[in-house]
Amino acid sequence: MIELKNVSKQYRQGARAVYALKDVSLSIQKGEFLSIMGASGSGKSTLLNLVGGLDQPSAGEVFINAKPLHGISDSELTLIRRRQVGFIFQFFNLLPLLTAIENVGLPLLVDGLPFTRVKPMAEAILHKIGLAARAEHRPEQLSGGEMQRVAIARALITNPAVLLADEPTGNLDSHTGEEILLLLKSLHEQGQTIIMVTHDSKAAAYGTRIITLKDGALSQDVAIGGPLA
Amino acid sequence: MSIKYALLGILAEKDLHGYEIKTSFDDKVGEFWSLNYGQIYSTLERLEKEDLVTHDRQAQDKRPDKKIFSITAEGRKQLEEWLAEPVSKLRALRDEFFIKLMFMDSNNPTAILELIEKQKALYLKQMNRLTQRKLALKKSAYNRHALISELLIDAGLFHSEADINWLTLCESKIKAAMTKNKLSR
Repeated sequence: MIELKNVSKQYRQGARAVYALKDVSLSIQKGEFLSIMGASGSGKSTLLNLVGGLDQPSAGEVFINAKPLHGISDSELTLIRRRQVGFIFQFFNLLPLLTAIENVGLPLLVDGLPFTRVKPMAEAILHKIGLAARAEHRPEQLSGGEMQRVAIARALITNPAVLLADEPTGNLDSHTGEEILLLLKSLHEQGQTIIMVTHDSKAAAYGTRIITLKDGALSQDVAIGGPLA
Repeated sequence: MSIKYALLGILAEKDLHGYEIKTSFDDKVGEFWSLNYGQIYSTLERLEKEDLVTHDRQAQDKRPDKKIFSITAEGRKQLEEWLAEPVSKLRALRDEFFIKLMFMDSNNPTAILELIEKQKALYLKQMNRLTQRKLALKKSAYNRHALISELLIDAGLFHSEADINWLTLCESKIKAAMTKNKLSR
């Protein structure tokens, strides 16, 4: 479903070229829950940004559902980003002036749908993740766990092909983090494809597959199940 | 050491014979701690000598008598005292991997790094299994026993995470030492 072919990403640091990703090939099936581990600077967020259309590779190809994300115009990329992927982040990235329900509906509002149509959809998702009572609260009135749930609801409202999570538990205590992971796991059990970047092995263990990046290259691919050694 | 108190704790709930004690033990903490019959019987023997446990014989058809063990008043008292005290001994820093690290050829750091990589992958797989067990547990009926099992699984996950973080640090320090050696040559 998601295909990376010989993908490299290069940045300029003064006169020096720095590789964030070096010739990475990877294919991710529909319904997979992939955890990506690696130290900071290993290229894991870059990989997520390429799959999410937030960035373009310097070389190589990226496909979502057989549609290329490389070599297309910014406006085409924006459309794919809006409709095919849902993002959640370590610091939730909610808009502070909007209520929970407005934050959840934002991707559709940006896409031009009227609030009267968006509102019932946002309500349904907030209800599904147990936050119906918080619909009219602003982010500052919510706990960290609640903010991340709102962010998950916002990511889901477009019914994306893949949910991309960048350190979703990084700013939460162990217990709250576990609740977020249980929510992601239940979404996965309902068929949602998920790619999660984390440096926390306890979080990574929720995946059905765990890959490790080292210095911009794939260093380990642990398929789950099968014998231990 | 705490086999003693685990057995006292099991018998404090109910009188049992040896086989049932083993089953109860496996059921409660078997995921993390395996005991064989030999360890159980030798501990029971010692507990009887200390008058913390006693036994009754139950006649069986065509088979030797069955011993039913029960906890004594003194056993109950010692168990209560032990339960109220925090654990003063820290986890032993004695890991099979550490011994391997100690005796691997220090002139071949690449082999050490490969071993570290394999070890990390194995820990990750184990963590994934523990997580699966936790998820299954959370879907089953909620009771005190399930909560204790979940907390034990959490402990296993935290310990594995610490092991992985430690291995990552080893990796980084060994690599730094390799670079330094190259420079000083």
